[in-house]
Amino acid sequence: MKLIVLTFSLLCINLAVSQDMLIEAEGFEDKGGWVVDPQFVEQMGSPYLLAHGMGVPVENAKTRVIFNKDGEYKVWVRTKNWVPGNWEPPGKFQLKINNKVLQSILGQRSGWGWELAGTVSIRKKKNSVELVDLTGFNGRIDAIYFTTSDAEPPSSMKKLATWRKTVTQEPLAPNITKKFDLVVVGGGIAGCAASIAAAEQGLNVALIHDRPVLGGNASSEIRVHTLGIYGHFERILKKLDTEHYPNGSPEAYKDQEKRDNNVKSYKNISLFLNWRAYDAKAIENRINYVDARQTASGERIRFEAPLFIDSTGDGWIGYWAGAEFTYGRESVDKYGEHWEEHGELWSPKQPDNAVMGSSVLWRSYEAEGNENFPEVPWAMPVARDYAKVKGEWQWEFSRNDLNQIDDAEEIRDHMLRAIYGSFANAKKQAENANRKLEWVSYLVGKRESRRLVGDYIFTLNDAKSGEKFHDAVVMETREVDVHYQTVLEDEKNPDFISEALFYKTPKYYIPYRSLYSKNISNLFMAGRNFSTSHVGLGGPRVMRTTGQMGAAVGFAASLCKKYEVDPRDIYTGYLDEYLTLIENQKYTPIPDSKQ
Amino acid sequence: MLFVGLGLWWSEIGILPRVVNSQDETLDKRPDYFAMEWEEGTLLTKKQTPFFIEVETMGNQSISLLTDENNRPRLYTADIVTPVCADGECRLMYLTLYWNLLGGYVGFDKVEGQELTKHDHEEFTDPDYEKLHQLLLDDNSILKRKKIDELVERPATSEADGVDATSGATIAEVKESVVDGALYSCFVAWNIAHGEVKRELLDNTAGLFNLEMKHYMLNSNDVDYQMYALKSFEEGDFIAFKERIVEMFRESIPLIRTYIVQNLPELFWRSDSLQIPFWESFDAIDINNRSLLLNHLETAPKEVLLSLSANMGLMTKNQLKTYLMGVEDLVKENSLLAKELDSFAHSKSNTYAYIVEEFLEDLE
Ligand SMILES: Cc1cc2nc3c(=O)[nH]c(=O)nc-3n(C[C@H](O)[C@H](O)[C@H](O)COP(=O)(O)OP(=O)(O)OC[C@H]3O[C@@H](n4cnc5c(N)ncnc54)[C@H](O)[C@@H]3O)c2cc1C
Repeated sequence: MKLIVLTFSLLCINLAVSQDMLIEAEGFEDKGGWVVDPQFVEQMGSPYLLAHGMGVPVENAKTRVIFNKDGEYKVWVRTKNWVPGNWEPPGKFQLKINNKVLQSILGQRSGWGWELAGTVSIRKKKNSVELVDLTGFNGRIDAIYFTTSDAEPPSSMKKLATWRKTVTQEPLAPNITKKFDLVVVGGGIAGCAASIAAAEQGLNVALIHDRPVLGGNASSEIRVHTLGIYGHFERILKKLDTEHYPNGSPEAYKDQEKRDNNVKSYKNISLFLNWRAYDAKAIENRINYVDARQTASGERIRFEAPLFIDSTGDGWIGYWAGAEFTYGRESVDKYGEHWEEHGELWSPKQPDNAVMGSSVLWRSYEAEGNENFPEVPWAMPVARDYAKVKGEWQWEFSRNDLNQIDDAEEIRDHMLRAIYGSFANAKKQAENANRKLEWVSYLVGKRESRRLVGDYIFTLNDAKSGEKFHDAVVMETREVDVHYQTVLEDEKNPDFISEALFYKTPKYYIPYRSLYSKNISNLFMAGRNFSTSHVGLGGPRVMRTTGQMGAAVGFAASLCKKYEVDPRDIYTGYLDEYLTLIENQKYTPIPDSKQ
Repeated sequence: MLFVGLGLWWSEIGILPRVVNSQDETLDKRPDYFAMEWEEGTLLTKKQTPFFIEVETMGNQSISLLTDENNRPRLYTADIVTPVCADGECRLMYLTLYWNLLGGYVGFDKVEGQELTKHDHEEFTDPDYEKLHQLLLDDNSILKRKKIDELVERPATSEADGVDATSGATIAEVKESVVDGALYSCFVAWNIAHGEVKRELLDNTAGLFNLEMKHYMLNSNDVDYQMYALKSFEEGDFIAFKERIVEMFRESIPLIRTYIVQNLPELFWRSDSLQIPFWESFDAIDINNRSLLLNHLETAPKEVLLSLSANMGLMTKNQLKTYLMGVEDLVKENSLLAKELDSFAHSKSNTYAYIVEEFLEDLE
């Protein structure tokens, strides 16, 4: 077994020379039942390990650590109590070092920061560290810090990043640089379709995705089924989409295998699974590179390319590169998206920062015999008296003090409280005596966050009119549906349940101009972060449609390469050739091997 | 035009509908199922309108306006007779429907001697009627997006139990909202209550809208009325009705509060006395509206900044951060506030004590 590579440094603190060692939890050799959660890196600083045991403590995570120097080490753990309040913290755990449990119970402090686990006496080179979960309810640990000094490591986010770099002696830039024709970030259906389209046209593509499996919300980790039509891209999208099973169904595994195999079958797609992009550098409105990090090992790579596609759903690449973006609801008058019937719920007179919410899907099953579920007092303020044994798409949370990106961890955690609390309530009913939780996602499925601005902003009116733009590349027949939280109409409703408002439209089209950035010259976008208004997103956010967007920009990228031009130039100078290329996709037969 | 059935024409099956004599020219009792308030002693009188509901094979069924003793419009109503056909069998359904002034369904009366029946000819029970009423009240019902055949045919999926869109909408979801064994009746009734008529009645009311009606709607407990009245506001109205607006801000639903706080004229945020009542409602309102209120922290008078500290325990993490940013300067000069923040930061029972603690640390 390969030993974890640890950086070991000498820091001068209080003029005394101290020994320090930082172990990233996500780098543990054997994660046991703990899972790597890289969703909130931008907010709390790092991927972390999560004890997602649905109420049953998970297996210990283990790793070996090499110490260069014996000594008495203080052991700090970066963690947080994810539901502070007048109850026992839900996610408690302990540390075991060289088979001895340190007495402190961890996971008790409010807000991410350091807790002292204890002091250990290190007398040998090779040492073992284990994480002992005590509750199964989402205890979390970012890192372990061994130090011979008395100083507490910094908790504030401002100081933490610099501190981390110093401790780990990390160079400013990644050591490795890789060059591609096209770099696609985010492997949802949009990113996968883009990669395939470009690869089929001969481009050398890097697809960077922060999960072990492809598909984003459609993956077996989130389990939303794909809706929408195929447009011109049936052949490609059938390699990626799902059957129409209920959201949350384990049937998602079958489609997962199909999708992963299909993408992997392209030799010229370099797949970077479990890699998360963390920066994009633009000079004079042109992205030069994207930097990404392996979510467990922390290894870094710089990706250079003339063209980039942002299919992260959250518009991260655009955001880092300085692309114009919008968030929230426009005023009803901005684009004239009025709908009398649902008035302010549909589109408000004054703009605001409300958006459609995020979901955590879950289900339970009938076990053979009686199944206990623990009391979860920390979940009750959210669940109140709501009692359910499974959750569908309506389990959705959005509130105007929470940003779907910056506060995603709180949103996910709120949903976990809603789920555990509602299930605990249901378990009190006699008919649910045998019910057992089968699956609760720990990934938050998002619907709406940043929308990057393109040369054209797609709105409800384009869906209503069905205008066939001269640069139409995506088409859809699905109604526009916009969600709202039912608590806005009645405070007695749970705050985590939404309702959908459907606006029937004719077949409508999305122009190519909505799929590249207005101000970053070599950036395409595909997926829910395309150029649209809040209401406009209501229709084409579904995943066959976002897949069409992906395929459309993948083909556009191939022409960019052919003529060495930027995305906008395809619109201004090569539109006919581009549209013909897309049109021809309809006639390209599906090879047997790919069906 | 509304017709639901399997191609059977009414006259073909040879049953003649009972003539509903619009004998009652007044309404003096609360309808059997009714979602609005009904004041004892109310007497409403029917007035003809040019509107009607066209029911295939049954002709036009006219809609009346109901006015009160002072001739003020209060409701719309229609006596409905409509065929409901299923599995080759047709029956007549009798209902007297009521709409509010905005064309929203609000209730119905049973027609004497004409109980609704289910497919098995059983009569509706009281809970069935209540369920029908609840269904009709849901203007966003799943029935809205479906043709009748889509509702009865099982979708192809194995265990479809709800989706994030229309296709494959499930029987389960429909079942939950319709009266068991009376899908067709429910479907027909819903489509009549929520048909074209809605728009026509709303337009009609718009033509009748006056100051009296503005008062009436504003003072009503019906949130649709409240919103309609608010949307009719000119800037001066916010001042003219300021007491009622504050009252609504405290007591109405979040959506109404949001409309108010988002649309209050600038004038309010420039005047201490005008804005203070809204801040005083801070503890009574929902989280979303607290955030919207906190957007105005910059123009809030000092006394508001100070008194809000008593509500820190109600604030969410981000709200608390916003508040602390807003009092950053004040806390340096006001030792009372500083003390309060300090005790909040050190109290064990406050979830976000650590936020205040960090804030105080950074201040030093
Ligand atoms: C509960 C729920 C129900 C829904 N129902 C339906 C439905 O029935 N049918 C339907 O088609 N749609 C449905 N939607 C909508 C649809 O799933 C979303 O709009 C979807 O996000 C669109 O796909 P996408 O490819 O744009 O983004 P995603 O699916 O979100 O894919 C983006 C991927 O990029 C990855 N990523 C993000 N940042 C980085 C980074 N920095 N580096 C590397 N990777 C990164 C993310 O992990 C993510 O997997 C639903 C959504 C939810 C939440």
